[in-house]
Amino acid sequence: MNASRFDLWLGLPLAAIALLLPFTGPSDFMLNLATLVMIWAVFAIGFDFVFGLLGMVSFGHASFLGLGGYALALATQMWGLPFCAGVSLAIVAGALCAWLFSFFALRVSGIFFALVTLALSQLLYILADSKLRAWTGGADGLPGVARPGLGGIDFFDSTLFYWYVLAVFALVMAAVVVLRRSPFGRVIAGIRQNETRAEQLGFDVHRYKQITFIVSGGISGLAGALLASLLMYVNPQMLHWTTSGDVIIMTLLGGAGTLWGPVIGVLAFEVLKEWLSGWTQYWYGILGLIFILATLFFPKGIVGELQERYGQWRDKAARRDGRIS
Amino acid sequence: MIALEHASVKYGHALALEDISIEVGLHEIVAIVGRNGAGKSTTLKTLVGLLPLVAGRRVFGERDISRLSVEQIARQGVALVPDTRRIFPNLTVRENLRIGAVAHQPGYWTEARVLEVFPRLGERIDFGGDQLSGGEQQMLAIARALLGNPRILLLDEPTEGLAPLIVDQLVEVFAHVHRQGTGIVLVEQNLKVPMKLAHRQYVLDHGQVVWSGTSAELKDQRQLVENLITTGAAQ
Repeated sequence: MNASRFDLWLGLPLAAIALLLPFTGPSDFMLNLATLVMIWAVFAIGFDFVFGLLGMVSFGHASFLGLGGYALALATQMWGLPFCAGVSLAIVAGALCAWLFSFFALRVSGIFFALVTLALSQLLYILADSKLRAWTGGADGLPGVARPGLGGIDFFDSTLFYWYVLAVFALVMAAVVVLRRSPFGRVIAGIRQNETRAEQLGFDVHRYKQITFIVSGGISGLAGALLASLLMYVNPQMLHWTTSGDVIIMTLLGGAGTLWGPVIGVLAFEVLKEWLSGWTQYWYGILGLIFILATLFFPKGIVGELQERYGQWRDKAARRDGRIS
Repeated sequence: MIALEHASVKYGHALALEDISIEVGLHEIVAIVGRNGAGKSTTLKTLVGLLPLVAGRRVFGERDISRLSVEQIARQGVALVPDTRRIFPNLTVRENLRIGAVAHQPGYWTEARVLEVFPRLGERIDFGGDQLSGGEQQMLAIARALLGNPRILLLDEPTEGLAPLIVDQLVEVFAHVHRQGTGIVLVEQNLKVPMKLAHRQYVLDHGQVVWSGTSAELKDQRQLVENLITTGAAQ
Protein backbone atom coordinates (compact mmCIF):
# COMPACT_ATOMS: atom_id res chain seq x y z
CA MET A 1 0.00 0.00 0.00
CA ASN A 2 2.89 2.36 0.60
CA ALA A 3 2.93 3.64 -2.97
CA SER A 4 5.01 6.74 -2.23
CA ARG A 5 8.02 4.70 -1.04
CA PHE A 6 7.65 2.42 -4.05
CA ASP A 7 7.52 5.47 -6.34
CA LEU A 8 10.70 6.75 -4.74
CA TRP A 9 12.52 3.43 -5.20
CA LEU A 10 11.49 3.33 -8.83
CA GLY A 11 12.08 7.02 -9.48
CA LEU A 12 15.61 7.20 -8.08
CA PRO A 13 17.29 4.87 -10.63
CA LEU A 14 15.28 6.43 -13.45
CA ALA A 15 16.40 9.90 -12.39
CA ALA A 16 20.00 8.70 -12.10
CA ILE A 17 19.90 7.21 -15.61
CA ALA A 18 18.33 10.39 -17.02
CA LEU A 19 20.94 12.61 -15.34
CA LEU A 20 23.94 10.46 -16.29
CA LEU A 21 22.95 9.65 -19.87
CA PRO A 22 24.47 12.78 -21.50
CA PHE A 23 27.82 12.02 -19.79
CA THR A 24 28.08 8.52 -21.27
CA GLY A 25 28.84 9.84 -24.74
CA PRO A 26 25.58 8.83 -26.37
CA SER A 27 24.91 9.23 -30.10
CA ASP A 28 22.51 11.91 -31.34
CA PHE A 29 20.06 9.11 -32.13
CA MET A 30 20.13 7.89 -28.53
CA LEU A 31 19.71 11.41 -27.13
CA ASN A 32 16.83 12.15 -29.48
CA LEU A 33 15.18 8.86 -28.54
CA ALA A 34 15.52 9.68 -24.82
CA THR A 35 14.13 13.18 -25.48
CA LEU A 36 11.23 11.70 -27.45
CA VAL A 37 10.50 9.25 -24.60
CA MET A 38 10.35 12.12 -22.08
CA ILE A 39 8.03 14.16 -24.32
CA TRP A 40 5.68 11.23 -24.89
CA ALA A 41 5.91 10.55 -21.15
CA VAL A 42 4.64 14.09 -20.47
CA PHE A 43 1.76 13.37 -22.87
CA ALA A 44 1.05 10.00 -21.24
CA ILE A 45 1.13 11.56 -17.76
CA GLY A 46 -1.41 14.15 -18.90
CA PHE A 47 -3.54 11.47 -20.52
CA ASP A 48 -3.37 9.30 -17.38
CA PHE A 49 -5.03 12.05 -15.37
CA VAL A 50 -8.24 11.20 -17.18
CA PHE A 51 -7.58 7.53 -17.94
CA GLY A 52 -5.82 6.27 -14.82
CA LEU A 53 -7.10 8.63 -12.15
CA LEU A 54 -10.68 9.14 -13.34
CA GLY A 55 -11.01 5.81 -15.18
CA MET A 56 -12.32 7.39 -18.40
CA VAL A 57 -11.02 6.31 -21.83
CA SER A 58 -10.46 9.40 -23.96
CA PHE A 59 -9.75 9.27 -27.68
CA GLY A 60 -9.59 13.07 -27.74
CA HIS A 61 -6.10 13.59 -26.39
CA ALA A 62 -4.52 13.63 -29.84
CA SER A 63 -6.42 16.89 -30.35
CA PHE A 64 -4.84 18.50 -27.29
CA LEU A 65 -1.38 17.29 -28.31
CA GLY A 66 -1.79 18.45 -31.91
CA LEU A 67 -3.26 21.81 -30.95
CA GLY A 68 -0.32 22.35 -28.60
CA GLY A 69 2.08 21.70 -31.45
CA TYR A 70 0.21 23.99 -33.82
CA ALA A 71 -0.12 26.71 -31.17
CA LEU A 72 3.67 26.84 -30.79
CA ALA A 73 4.24 26.73 -34.56
CA LEU A 74 1.72 29.50 -35.30
CA ALA A 75 2.76 31.66 -32.34
CA THR A 76 6.44 31.65 -33.25
CA GLN A 77 6.22 31.53 -37.06
CA MET A 78 3.08 33.45 -37.94
CA TRP A 79 2.71 35.87 -35.04
CA GLY A 80 6.39 36.27 -34.16
CA LEU A 81 5.91 35.56 -30.47
CA PRO A 82 8.84 34.38 -28.32
CA PHE A 83 9.22 30.65 -27.61
CA CYS A 84 8.02 30.91 -24.00
CA ALA A 85 4.83 32.67 -25.09
CA GLY A 86 4.34 29.96 -27.72
CA VAL A 87 4.65 27.18 -25.12
CA SER A 88 2.24 29.03 -22.80
CA LEU A 89 -0.18 29.35 -25.69
CA ALA A 90 0.18 25.61 -26.37
CA ILE A 91 -0.80 24.81 -22.77
CA VAL A 92 -3.77 27.19 -23.01
CA ALA A 93 -4.81 25.72 -26.38
CA GLY A 94 -4.76 22.16 -24.99
CA ALA A 95 -6.67 23.20 -21.87
CA LEU A 96 -9.20 25.26 -23.85
CA CYS A 97 -9.85 22.43 -26.28
CA ALA A 98 -10.33 20.03 -23.34
CA TRP A 99 -12.74 22.51 -21.76
CA LEU A 100 -14.79 22.66 -24.97
CA PHE A 101 -14.74 18.87 -25.39
CA SER A 102 -15.85 18.47 -21.77
CA PHE A 103 -19.18 20.19 -22.45
CA PHE A 104 -20.14 17.36 -24.80
CA ALA A 105 -18.10 14.42 -23.57
CA LEU A 106 -18.79 14.66 -19.82
CA ARG A 107 -22.53 14.40 -20.39
CA VAL A 108 -21.98 10.70 -20.99
CA SER A 109 -19.76 8.00 -19.53
CA GLY A 110 -18.12 4.69 -20.38
CA ILE A 111 -17.99 3.71 -24.04
CA PHE A 112 -20.07 6.76 -25.01
CA PHE A 113 -17.46 9.08 -23.51
CA ALA A 114 -14.81 7.34 -25.63
CA LEU A 115 -16.98 7.65 -28.75
CA VAL A 116 -17.78 11.34 -28.23
CA THR A 117 -14.10 12.21 -27.68
CA LEU A 118 -13.20 10.14 -30.75
CA ALA A 119 -15.78 11.96 -32.88
CA LEU A 120 -14.68 15.41 -31.71
CA SER A 121 -11.03 14.53 -32.21
CA GLN A 122 -11.59 13.26 -35.73
CA LEU A 123 -13.61 16.37 -36.54
CA LEU A 124 -10.65 18.49 -35.55
CA TYR A 125 -8.28 16.25 -37.53
CA ILE A 126 -10.38 16.59 -40.69
CA LEU A 127 -10.58 20.37 -40.24
CA ALA A 128 -6.80 20.59 -39.79
CA ASP A 129 -6.18 18.30 -42.76
CA SER A 130 -8.47 20.07 -45.23
CA LYS A 131 -10.57 23.08 -44.27
CA LEU A 132 -7.95 24.92 -42.22
CA ARG A 133 -5.09 24.26 -44.64
CA ALA A 134 -4.12 27.94 -44.69
CA TRP A 135 -3.30 27.69 -40.96
CA THR A 136 -2.16 24.11 -40.65
CA GLY A 137 -0.40 23.49 -43.95
CA GLY A 138 -2.79 20.60 -44.62
CA ALA A 139 -1.18 17.19 -45.03
CA ASP A 140 2.21 18.89 -45.59
CA GLY A 141 2.13 20.37 -42.11
CA LEU A 142 4.25 23.28 -40.90
CA PRO A 143 8.03 22.82 -40.96
CA GLY A 144 10.56 24.93 -39.09
CA VAL A 145 8.94 24.96 -35.64
CA ALA A 146 11.10 26.91 -33.20
CA ARG A 147 13.33 25.62 -30.45
CA PRO A 148 13.85 27.62 -27.27
CA GLY A 149 16.22 30.57 -27.34
CA LEU A 150 17.42 31.26 -23.82
CA GLY A 151 20.45 33.44 -23.16
CA GLY A 152 22.23 32.50 -26.35
CA ILE A 153 22.13 28.75 -25.62
CA ASP A 154 22.01 26.67 -28.79
CA PHE A 155 19.06 24.35 -28.26
CA PHE A 156 19.55 22.88 -31.72
CA ASP A 157 22.29 20.90 -29.99
CA SER A 158 20.74 17.53 -29.06
CA THR A 159 22.37 17.43 -25.62
CA LEU A 160 21.20 20.90 -24.63
CA PHE A 161 17.71 20.26 -25.93
CA TYR A 162 17.74 16.99 -23.91
CA TRP A 163 18.52 18.98 -20.73
CA TYR A 164 15.77 21.43 -21.54
CA VAL A 165 13.17 18.65 -21.99
CA LEU A 166 14.46 16.84 -18.88
CA ALA A 167 13.91 20.03 -16.84
CA VAL A 168 10.35 20.39 -18.17
CA PHE A 169 9.69 16.68 -17.56
CA ALA A 170 10.96 16.98 -13.96
CA LEU A 171 8.70 20.01 -13.38
CA VAL A 172 5.68 18.14 -14.75
CA MET A 173 6.46 15.09 -12.57
CA ALA A 174 6.81 17.33 -9.49
CA ALA A 175 3.51 19.06 -10.29
CA VAL A 176 1.81 15.70 -10.77
CA VAL A 177 3.12 14.39 -7.43
CA VAL A 178 1.85 17.51 -5.66
CA LEU A 179 -1.51 17.33 -7.43
CA ARG A 180 -2.00 13.63 -6.73
CA ARG A 181 -1.27 14.14 -3.03
CA SER A 182 -3.38 17.27 -2.72
CA PRO A 183 -6.98 17.20 -1.48
CA PHE A 184 -7.97 17.58 -5.14
CA GLY A 185 -6.01 14.43 -6.04
CA ARG A 186 -7.62 12.46 -3.24
CA VAL A 187 -11.07 13.52 -4.38
CA ILE A 188 -10.52 12.43 -7.99
CA ALA A 189 -9.13 9.11 -6.72
CA GLY A 190 -12.31 8.79 -4.68
CA ILE A 191 -14.50 9.68 -7.67
CA ARG A 192 -12.85 6.93 -9.68
CA GLN A 193 -13.57 4.36 -6.99
CA ASN A 194 -17.10 5.41 -6.14
CA GLU A 195 -18.69 8.34 -7.89
CA THR A 196 -21.97 8.16 -5.98
CA ARG A 197 -20.17 8.10 -2.63
CA ALA A 198 -18.11 11.12 -3.62
CA GLU A 199 -21.33 12.95 -4.50
CA GLN A 200 -22.82 12.01 -1.15
CA LEU A 201 -19.77 13.49 0.55
CA GLY A 202 -20.67 16.80 -1.07
CA PHE A 203 -18.33 16.92 -4.06
CA ASP A 204 -19.50 18.35 -7.36
CA VAL A 205 -18.31 15.34 -9.35
CA HIS A 206 -18.94 16.93 -12.75
CA ARG A 207 -16.85 19.96 -11.83
CA TYR A 208 -13.98 17.81 -10.57
CA LYS A 209 -14.06 15.75 -13.77
CA GLN A 210 -14.09 18.90 -15.87
CA ILE A 211 -11.11 20.41 -14.03
CA THR A 212 -9.20 17.12 -14.34
CA PHE A 213 -9.95 17.01 -18.06
CA ILE A 214 -8.75 20.60 -18.48
CA VAL A 215 -5.52 19.96 -16.53
CA SER A 216 -4.97 16.85 -18.64
CA GLY A 217 -5.54 18.88 -21.83
CA GLY A 218 -3.07 21.55 -20.69
CA ILE A 219 -0.33 18.97 -19.99
CA SER A 220 -1.02 17.33 -23.36
CA GLY A 221 -0.77 20.74 -25.05
CA LEU A 222 2.63 21.24 -23.43
CA ALA A 223 3.74 17.82 -24.72
CA GLY A 224 2.54 18.83 -28.20
CA ALA A 225 4.68 21.97 -28.10
CA LEU A 226 7.73 19.96 -26.98
CA LEU A 227 7.16 17.34 -29.68
CA ALA A 228 6.79 19.97 -32.41
CA SER A 229 9.93 21.64 -31.12
CA LEU A 230 11.90 18.37 -31.13
CA LEU A 231 10.77 17.40 -34.62
CA MET A 232 10.81 21.07 -35.73
CA TYR A 233 7.68 20.10 -37.58
CA VAL A 234 3.98 19.67 -36.98
CA ASN A 235 1.31 18.07 -39.16
CA PRO A 236 -2.33 16.96 -38.77
CA GLN A 237 -1.24 13.37 -38.08
CA MET A 238 -0.59 14.50 -34.50
CA LEU A 239 -4.35 15.08 -34.24
CA HIS A 240 -5.30 11.68 -35.63
CA TRP A 241 -7.09 9.21 -33.36
CA THR A 242 -4.23 6.71 -33.73
CA THR A 243 -2.09 9.08 -31.64
CA SER A 244 -4.67 8.72 -28.86
CA GLY A 245 -4.59 4.95 -29.45
CA ASP A 246 -0.81 4.91 -29.01
CA VAL A 247 -0.95 6.77 -25.72
CA ILE A 248 -3.64 4.37 -24.44
CA ILE A 249 -1.38 1.41 -25.27
CA MET A 250 1.64 3.09 -23.64
CA THR A 251 -0.26 3.88 -20.46
CA LEU A 252 -1.81 0.43 -20.16
CA LEU A 253 1.54 -1.22 -20.81
CA GLY A 254 3.18 0.80 -18.03
CA GLY A 255 0.30 0.76 -15.55
CA ALA A 256 -2.60 3.20 -15.61
CA GLY A 257 -3.17 5.26 -12.47
CA THR A 258 0.36 4.74 -11.14
CA LEU A 259 2.88 7.58 -10.96
CA TRP A 260 5.60 5.97 -13.09
CA GLY A 261 3.38 3.70 -15.18
CA PRO A 262 2.92 6.12 -18.10
CA VAL A 263 6.67 6.85 -18.15
CA ILE A 264 7.69 3.17 -18.12
CA GLY A 265 4.98 2.41 -20.68
CA VAL A 266 6.31 5.05 -23.08
CA LEU A 267 9.86 3.81 -22.54
CA ALA A 268 8.87 0.19 -23.25
CA PHE A 269 6.77 1.20 -26.28
CA GLU A 270 9.41 3.41 -27.87
CA VAL A 271 12.31 1.01 -27.24
CA LEU A 272 10.30 -1.91 -28.63
CA LYS A 273 9.23 0.21 -31.58
CA GLU A 274 12.81 1.18 -32.42
CA TRP A 275 14.07 -2.36 -31.99
CA LEU A 276 11.24 -4.09 -33.89
CA SER A 277 11.08 -1.55 -36.73
CA GLY A 278 14.77 -2.15 -37.45
CA TRP A 279 14.02 -5.84 -37.68
CA THR A 280 10.74 -6.08 -39.60
CA GLN A 281 8.29 -3.82 -41.39
CA TYR A 282 5.46 -5.56 -39.50
CA TRP A 283 6.66 -4.13 -36.22
CA TYR A 284 3.27 -2.62 -35.33
CA GLY A 285 1.60 -6.05 -35.56
CA ILE A 286 4.21 -7.59 -33.27
CA LEU A 287 3.85 -4.67 -30.88
CA GLY A 288 0.09 -5.27 -30.89
CA LEU A 289 0.66 -8.93 -30.05
CA ILE A 290 2.97 -7.98 -27.19
CA PHE A 291 0.33 -5.56 -25.95
CA ILE A 292 -2.38 -8.25 -26.05
CA LEU A 293 -0.17 -10.69 -24.13
CA ALA A 294 0.76 -7.98 -21.62
CA THR A 295 -2.88 -7.10 -20.92
CA LEU A 296 -3.73 -10.81 -20.55
CA PHE A 297 -0.89 -11.67 -18.18
CA PHE A 298 -0.12 -8.27 -16.58
CA PRO A 299 -3.47 -6.46 -16.58
CA LYS A 300 -2.18 -3.86 -14.14
CA GLY A 301 0.75 -2.98 -16.38
CA ILE A 302 4.46 -3.22 -15.61
CA VAL A 303 4.46 -0.72 -12.74
CA GLY A 304 1.06 -1.83 -11.44
CA GLU A 305 2.29 -5.44 -11.14
CA LEU A 306 5.56 -4.38 -9.52
CA GLN A 307 3.69 -2.15 -7.08
CA GLU A 308 1.37 -4.99 -6.10
CA ARG A 309 4.28 -7.37 -5.52
CA TYR A 310 6.09 -4.71 -3.50
CA GLY A 311 2.93 -4.29 -1.35
CA GLN A 312 2.68 -8.06 -0.81
CA TRP A 313 6.35 -8.24 0.12
CA ARG A 314 5.94 -5.39 2.63
CA ASP A 315 2.85 -7.00 4.18
CA LYS A 316 4.69 -10.30 4.51
CA ALA A 317 7.67 -8.57 6.10
CA ALA A 318 5.40 -6.65 8.49
CA ARG A 319 3.63 -9.87 9.54
CA ARG A 320 6.96 -11.64 10.02
CA ASP A 321 8.14 -8.79 12.25
CA GLY A 322 4.84 -8.80 14.15
CA ARG A 323 3.97 -5.19 13.18
CA ILE A 324 0.54 -6.30 11.92
CA SER A 325 -1.61 -9.29 12.78
CA MET B 1 -34.90 19.95 10.79
CA ILE B 2 -34.84 17.59 7.80
CA ALA B 3 -38.12 16.22 6.57
CA LEU B 4 -40.03 14.42 3.88
CA GLU B 5 -43.53 15.80 3.41
CA HIS B 6 -46.07 13.53 1.71
CA ALA B 7 -43.24 12.06 -0.30
CA SER B 8 -43.67 9.30 -2.85
CA VAL B 9 -40.83 7.49 -4.60
CA LYS B 10 -40.82 4.91 -7.36
CA TYR B 11 -38.37 2.23 -8.45
CA GLY B 12 -39.31 1.95 -12.11
CA HIS B 13 -43.10 1.56 -12.02
CA ALA B 14 -43.23 0.20 -8.48
CA LEU B 15 -44.12 2.59 -5.67
CA ALA B 16 -41.41 2.24 -3.01
CA LEU B 17 -42.59 5.04 -0.70
CA GLU B 18 -46.15 6.27 -0.63
CA ASP B 19 -47.19 9.58 0.83
CA ILE B 20 -44.61 9.34 3.58
CA SER B 21 -44.01 12.17 6.06
CA ILE B 22 -41.14 12.06 8.50
CA GLU B 23 -39.35 14.82 10.35
CA VAL B 24 -36.06 14.80 12.24
CA GLY B 25 -34.89 17.67 14.42
CA LEU B 26 -31.23 18.68 14.33
CA HIS B 27 -30.75 17.72 17.97
CA GLU B 28 -32.57 14.44 18.21
CA ILE B 29 -32.02 10.81 17.40
CA VAL B 30 -34.77 9.28 15.34
CA ALA B 31 -34.96 5.63 14.34
CA ILE B 32 -36.70 4.19 11.31
CA VAL B 33 -37.59 0.54 11.84
CA GLY B 34 -39.51 -2.06 9.95
CA ARG B 35 -39.20 -5.41 8.24
CA ASN B 36 -37.06 -6.10 5.18
CA GLY B 37 -38.30 -4.21 2.15
CA ALA B 38 -40.42 -1.83 4.24
CA GLY B 39 -38.70 1.19 2.67
CA LYS B 40 -36.22 2.17 5.39
CA SER B 41 -33.12 2.49 3.21
CA THR B 42 -35.23 4.04 0.45
CA THR B 43 -36.28 6.72 2.93
CA LEU B 44 -32.64 7.56 3.72
CA LYS B 45 -31.71 7.62 0.04
CA THR B 46 -34.64 9.92 -0.61
CA LEU B 47 -33.60 12.25 2.20
CA VAL B 48 -30.11 12.69 0.69
CA GLY B 49 -31.43 13.12 -2.85
CA LEU B 50 -30.23 9.82 -4.31
CA LEU B 51 -33.80 9.03 -5.32
CA PRO B 52 -36.06 11.61 -6.95
CA LEU B 53 -39.48 12.37 -5.56
CA VAL B 54 -42.52 11.68 -7.69
CA ALA B 55 -44.69 13.57 -5.23
CA GLY B 56 -44.23 15.61 -2.04
CA ARG B 57 -41.31 17.68 -0.79
CA ARG B 58 -37.89 17.29 0.77
CA VAL B 59 -37.20 20.03 3.32
CA PHE B 60 -34.11 21.11 5.26
CA GLY B 61 -34.74 23.81 7.86
CA GLU B 62 -37.30 26.02 6.19
CA ARG B 63 -35.90 25.41 2.72
CA ASP B 64 -37.40 23.18 0.03
CA ILE B 65 -34.47 21.06 -1.15
CA SER B 66 -36.49 18.79 -3.45
CA ARG B 67 -34.65 20.01 -6.53
CA LEU B 68 -31.14 20.11 -5.09
CA SER B 69 -28.55 17.60 -6.31
CA VAL B 70 -26.96 14.99 -4.05
CA GLU B 71 -23.80 17.03 -3.48
CA GLN B 72 -25.78 20.22 -2.83
CA ILE B 73 -27.78 18.44 -0.14
CA ALA B 74 -24.57 17.00 1.31
CA ARG B 75 -23.14 20.53 1.50
CA GLN B 76 -26.11 21.60 3.61
CA GLY B 77 -24.64 19.26 6.24
CA VAL B 78 -26.50 16.01 5.56
CA ALA B 79 -24.23 12.94 5.62
CA LEU B 80 -25.22 9.38 4.82
CA VAL B 81 -23.34 6.28 5.95
CA PRO B 82 -24.83 3.65 3.63
CA ASP B 83 -25.42 0.04 4.60
CA THR B 84 -22.72 -1.19 2.22
CA ARG B 85 -20.20 1.14 3.98
CA ARG B 86 -18.76 2.26 0.67
CA ILE B 87 -15.34 3.33 1.77
CA PHE B 88 -12.81 3.94 -0.98
CA PRO B 89 -11.03 0.56 -1.02
CA ASN B 90 -7.87 1.61 -2.84
CA LEU B 91 -7.22 4.62 -0.63
CA THR B 92 -5.55 4.32 2.77
CA VAL B 93 -7.44 4.98 6.00
CA ARG B 94 -5.76 8.39 6.20
CA GLU B 95 -6.74 9.28 2.62
CA ASN B 96 -10.31 8.14 3.20
CA LEU B 97 -10.48 10.39 6.26
CA ARG B 98 -8.98 13.35 4.46
CA ILE B 99 -11.52 13.10 1.66
CA GLY B 100 -14.20 13.48 4.33
CA ALA B 101 -12.45 16.53 5.71
CA VAL B 102 -12.19 18.25 2.32
CA ALA B 103 -15.92 18.22 1.78
CA HIS B 104 -17.30 20.53 4.45
CA GLN B 105 -16.82 23.32 6.92
CA PRO B 106 -14.49 22.80 9.86
CA GLY B 107 -16.15 22.09 13.19
CA TYR B 108 -15.89 19.94 16.29
CA TRP B 109 -14.83 16.82 14.43
CA THR B 110 -11.19 16.81 13.45
CA GLU B 111 -8.94 13.95 12.37
CA ALA B 112 -7.47 13.83 15.90
CA ARG B 113 -10.93 13.65 17.49
CA VAL B 114 -12.25 10.87 15.28
CA LEU B 115 -9.07 8.88 15.88
CA GLU B 116 -9.62 9.36 19.60
CA VAL B 117 -13.11 7.95 19.21
CA PHE B 118 -11.94 5.16 16.89
CA PRO B 119 -8.38 4.33 18.09
CA ARG B 120 -8.39 1.18 15.93
CA LEU B 121 -8.32 3.41 12.85
CA GLY B 122 -5.27 5.21 14.21
CA GLU B 123 -3.46 1.87 14.46
CA ARG B 124 -4.29 1.15 10.82
CA ILE B 125 -3.90 4.64 9.43
CA ASP B 126 -1.69 3.59 6.48
CA PHE B 127 -3.63 0.45 5.67
CA GLY B 128 -5.70 0.27 2.51
CA GLY B 129 -9.46 0.44 2.92
CA ASP B 130 -9.73 -3.08 1.51
CA GLN B 131 -7.41 -4.41 4.22
CA LEU B 132 -9.82 -3.55 7.03
CA SER B 133 -12.29 -5.87 8.73
CA GLY B 134 -16.04 -5.24 8.39
CA GLY B 135 -16.17 -3.48 11.75
CA GLU B 136 -13.18 -1.29 10.92
CA GLN B 137 -14.71 -0.38 7.57
CA GLN B 138 -17.87 0.66 9.35
CA MET B 139 -15.83 2.78 11.78
CA LEU B 140 -14.02 4.36 8.84
CA ALA B 141 -17.27 5.13 7.02
CA ILE B 142 -18.69 6.79 10.14
CA ALA B 143 -15.44 8.63 10.91
CA ARG B 144 -15.26 9.96 7.35
CA ALA B 145 -18.83 11.20 7.55
CA LEU B 146 -18.11 12.90 10.90
CA LEU B 147 -15.10 14.75 9.47
CA GLY B 148 -17.52 16.64 7.25
CA ASN B 149 -19.01 17.99 10.50
CA PRO B 150 -22.56 17.17 9.40
CA ARG B 151 -25.56 18.76 11.02
CA ILE B 152 -27.46 15.54 10.55
CA LEU B 153 -26.04 12.04 10.21
CA LEU B 154 -28.02 9.30 8.49
CA LEU B 155 -26.92 5.77 9.39
CA ASP B 156 -28.21 2.82 7.39
CA GLU B 157 -27.97 -0.35 9.48
CA PRO B 158 -24.60 0.62 10.98
CA THR B 159 -24.41 -2.40 13.30
CA GLU B 160 -25.40 -5.05 10.78
CA GLY B 161 -23.08 -8.06 10.91
CA LEU B 162 -20.82 -6.61 13.60
CA ALA B 163 -19.63 -8.32 16.79
CA PRO B 164 -21.58 -7.31 19.95
CA LEU B 165 -18.48 -5.63 21.40
CA ILE B 166 -18.13 -3.37 18.37
CA VAL B 167 -21.88 -2.66 18.39
CA ASP B 168 -21.57 -1.45 21.99
CA GLN B 169 -18.65 0.80 21.00
CA LEU B 170 -20.66 2.25 18.13
CA VAL B 171 -23.65 2.93 20.38
CA GLU B 172 -21.35 4.96 22.64
CA VAL B 173 -19.98 6.82 19.64
CA PHE B 174 -23.47 7.68 18.37
CA ALA B 175 -24.41 9.02 21.80
CA HIS B 176 -21.21 11.08 21.83
CA VAL B 177 -21.95 12.42 18.31
CA HIS B 178 -25.43 13.42 19.43
CA ARG B 179 -24.06 15.22 22.49
CA GLN B 180 -21.96 17.35 20.12
CA GLY B 181 -25.17 18.65 18.58
CA THR B 182 -25.56 16.43 15.54
CA GLY B 183 -28.97 14.98 14.72
CA ILE B 184 -29.03 11.27 13.88
CA VAL B 185 -31.37 9.20 11.76
CA LEU B 186 -30.84 5.54 12.46
CA VAL B 187 -32.14 2.71 10.32
CA GLU B 188 -31.79 -0.62 12.10
CA GLN B 189 -33.29 -4.07 11.99
CA ASN B 190 -31.89 -4.81 15.43
CA LEU B 191 -34.32 -3.01 17.71
CA LYS B 192 -31.92 -3.07 20.63
CA VAL B 193 -29.89 -0.15 19.33
CA PRO B 194 -32.83 2.17 18.47
CA MET B 195 -34.42 1.39 21.82
CA LYS B 196 -31.22 2.45 23.59
CA LEU B 197 -30.61 5.60 21.59
CA ALA B 198 -33.61 6.96 19.75
CA HIS B 199 -35.89 9.63 21.13
CA ARG B 200 -38.55 8.93 18.53
CA GLN B 201 -39.22 6.12 16.09
CA TYR B 202 -41.06 5.61 12.84
CA VAL B 203 -42.29 2.16 11.91
CA LEU B 204 -42.49 1.57 8.18
CA ASP B 205 -44.35 -1.12 6.30
CA HIS B 206 -44.84 -1.41 2.54
CA GLY B 207 -43.44 2.08 1.99
CA GLN B 208 -45.78 3.78 4.43
CA VAL B 209 -45.44 5.05 7.98
CA VAL B 210 -47.66 2.74 10.02
CA TRP B 211 -46.71 4.09 13.41
CA SER B 212 -44.69 6.92 14.93
CA GLY B 213 -44.01 7.98 18.47
CA THR B 214 -41.42 7.98 21.22
CA SER B 215 -39.35 4.91 22.09
CA ALA B 216 -41.22 4.64 25.38
CA GLU B 217 -44.52 4.62 23.50
CA LEU B 218 -43.21 1.96 21.11
CA LYS B 219 -42.49 -0.33 24.06
CA ASP B 220 -46.15 -0.07 25.01
CA GLN B 221 -47.29 -1.02 21.50
CA ARG B 222 -46.77 -4.68 22.26
CA GLN B 223 -48.59 -6.06 19.24
CA LEU B 224 -46.63 -3.89 16.82
CA VAL B 225 -43.29 -4.86 18.38
CA GLU B 226 -44.28 -8.54 18.24
CA ASN B 227 -45.10 -8.18 14.56
CA LEU B 228 -41.67 -6.71 13.93
CA ILE B 229 -40.00 -9.49 15.86
CA THR B 230 -41.87 -12.29 14.09
CA THR B 231 -40.79 -10.92 10.71
CA GLY B 232 -37.19 -11.06 11.88
CA ALA B 233 -36.74 -7.37 12.38
CA ALA B 234 -35.46 -7.75 15.89
CA GLN B 235 -33.21 -10.61 16.89
